[in-house]
Amino acid sequence: MEPINALKAMKKLTSDYFTSAHMAPHNNKPVVYCNVFTPVELIYAMDMFPVYPENHAAIIGARKMATELSSAAEGMGYVMDLCSYARCDIGWTKARISPTWGLPKPDLILVINCQCGTLTKWFEVLSRLYGAPMVLIDVPHSGNGEEDPAAEIYVRRQLDGLIKTLERIAGKGLDESRFKEVIRLSKQASELWTQMLIMGENIPSPMTVFDQFISMFPIVSQRGTETAVEFYGNLVKELEERVKHKIPAVPNERFRLFWDNLPIWSELGRLSSFLADRGAAVVTSIYTWAWSQLAVNEQDPLADWTRQYLYTFNLNLGYRIERYVELAERYRLDGFLFHSNRSCKWISQDVISLRQAITERTGIPGVIFEADQNDPRLYSIENLEKQIDSFLELLSVKTNKV
Amino acid sequence: MTKSDPWLPFDEINQDPWSKIIAVKRTSGKKIIGHVLPDVPEELIYAAGAIPLALAGAGITISLAQAQIPTYSCSHAMGALELQLKGALDSLDGVIIPYVCDTTRNLYHLWRQLFPNVACEFLRLPKKLGDPDAKLYLGEEYLRISKWLTGITGQEINKDSLKASISVYSKSRDQLKLAYLKMQSSPSTWSAQRVISLFESSFRFPREEHLILMNNLPWDVDGGDTSDRAKIYVRGKVWDPPEITKLFDELGLTLVGDEIVTGFRSVMVNPIVNGDLFQSLVDRHMSTIPYTGYYVDPRKLVEDFVERTRSCGAQGVVFLNPKFCEAAAFDTPDMVNALKKNNIPNLVLETSSRGTSMSQIRLRLEAFKEILADDLP
Ligand code: SF4
Ligand code: SF4
Repeated sequence: MEPINALKAMKKLTSDYFTSAHMAPHNNKPVVYCNVFTPVELIYAMDMFPVYPENHAAIIGARKMATELSSAAEGMGYVMDLCSYARCDIGWTKARISPTWGLPKPDLILVINCQCGTLTKWFEVLSRLYGAPMVLIDVPHSGNGEEDPAAEIYVRRQLDGLIKTLERIAGKGLDESRFKEVIRLSKQASELWTQMLIMGENIPSPMTVFDQFISMFPIVSQRGTETAVEFYGNLVKELEERVKHKIPAVPNERFRLFWDNLPIWSELGRLSSFLADRGAAVVTSIYTWAWSQLAVNEQDPLADWTRQYLYTFNLNLGYRIERYVELAERYRLDGFLFHSNRSCKWISQDVISLRQAITERTGIPGVIFEADQNDPRLYSIENLEKQIDSFLELLSVKTNKV
Repeated sequence: MTKSDPWLPFDEINQDPWSKIIAVKRTSGKKIIGHVLPDVPEELIYAAGAIPLALAGAGITISLAQAQIPTYSCSHAMGALELQLKGALDSLDGVIIPYVCDTTRNLYHLWRQLFPNVACEFLRLPKKLGDPDAKLYLGEEYLRISKWLTGITGQEINKDSLKASISVYSKSRDQLKLAYLKMQSSPSTWSAQRVISLFESSFRFPREEHLILMNNLPWDVDGGDTSDRAKIYVRGKVWDPPEITKLFDELGLTLVGDEIVTGFRSVMVNPIVNGDLFQSLVDRHMSTIPYTGYYVDPRKLVEDFVERTRSCGAQGVVFLNPKFCEAAAFDTPDMVNALKKNNIPNLVLETSSRGTSMSQIRLRLEAFKEILADDLP
């Protein structure tokens, strides 16, 4: 496998980010805890520093520290059935070990619940722990994504209120031209991210979702910065070259697969090699596509966010089925890997219906395996590999790709 | 128990609400609307000319549902799904599922996918309790749900029908409140098992008929031996495992308050009727004890909980936490710590209809009673 050079920048980029995060209080920058769909552009425009407990947890998982930190949270009374991101992050506050030297204390905790309800509860714990104020942007779930004018008013007013809260904490007003600039950069990053995802449509694919997972950090936490634009700009350029010269992410690409749900952070390297060794390229995932839809326009960003939160990120089964069917065609998929993720009930509880509907609609088979995004005690990697192996055998019979 | 036993009808309703409701439907000709707990306003269903029937998954043996939803889901959701899968809910004319957590949200989508012929609506409850914009939104949402109900029953919800409905439900709640007090003063006749059976059956039978049935109860019995009993406060979703109230009786534990959605929480607040009736239902919802998935200021959430346990004189608190319920499990550690700081003993029980051992629960409750006995005056 020929490694993607642009990804090497990630290490420095993350390290710089966490250094700046820890320096923020010393630089009089209020620290705001956010979740991945919060309008981070507002935070940057207000000259505040956004910090993501979810990212913190994912890094803990990737660095194989999840067992120790989850156990610490369990010692505090947080049961093992809770999302392992939350357990890892909360566990840090007790164990005081973390690959990012932990997180700086928050001045504000901001959460938007179109993602999952878990985050609200997790952030409530942090709010009590740090004595920090919390703002919840409450997004009613509009069932099947139908228009809900009353909800639009409700969400929009909360976003207006959020600006006032941020201005109060920052002690200054929102600078409109700075805000526009941040939005422009954010849109650019989002567009580059989308271009990168589309590269996976090529045969052979120049990158896999494992590369995408590794490169997610800036699109999550640095939307609206030059750093993100530069990083994805370089990445896209390199991928274009790889496409031109048909350099594959997986040598002898035999199968093209879809990854559903979050990655299994602690097994990223192992699974990536395991699949590559078998000629299986995981070329796309609903998870990484989420960030392609985050861009807003300068004219009325609050209106765009309102609609995104209500109708785009408010996942529903019907939407997911349509989307997966569309991606199956675009990426010429052979199979689906469904990660039934014990931690993330939000996007896992409908996995059985999802697989059935997709196979009925497309004829493409899928395998469901139960695991966890962070906590290796909740699954057996050997069993998981056996399941995937059997699935690939089935695929080779079905597709005649030996 | 004999046929003249006034408590019997309530137990019968709870034992098999599904066939009971078929009989009611046949005689009344009314539509039946199932609603997953908690917090679907029964008054609206009743005002639309239908009978609300609460769907609680606790105590249901799960078999079919395991093939449709991962086993790391709470018994409440799995049980409700099981009921529909095995046909127990075939006589329902519609189902409302409220948005209280990710699981009920997913349950709604599964319902639509698996039972496309069942009329099913999602009640989009806003999470911010007390927030003025959330109140406005909930008012609109109640209107939307009302229209859906009218579509099923053909009966408009108007001022008169809503007023009549609110009146029946308020009377029922007042009566249930009295029963709860009786349980504290006359526990040998008004046992927890019997009183909670009253509460639970009220969610599964036409309210006005339930009120009439309650008239037959021994309201004149007063007093009784309350010595050697310990006062407890319970937090949880439903009475799960269902035998838990019997255990409370056997071990001499008196309920002085609870936050169970089919318990005292359900009768604490009546709508204040003046002006906009929809808004009075909104206000009722907003001032009811926050269910675990809702949002209030995080510190206040814990402080208010401790204050509620103190103000009713509880000597100890029992948590009935449904296994795999994230919301409850996130709240518990800080609540436990706050109780400890206030010297209020507590016991956390994790409940599930898949694998809860009653003998284990009994042992733990016995030990808890011992701890409380040390505190008895
Ligand atoms: S439940 Fe899922 S979406 Fe929510 S924090 Fe955990 S992993 Fe993220
Ligand atoms: S709030 Fe808890 S018990 Fe109720 S449905 Fe959700 S997960 Fe289950």
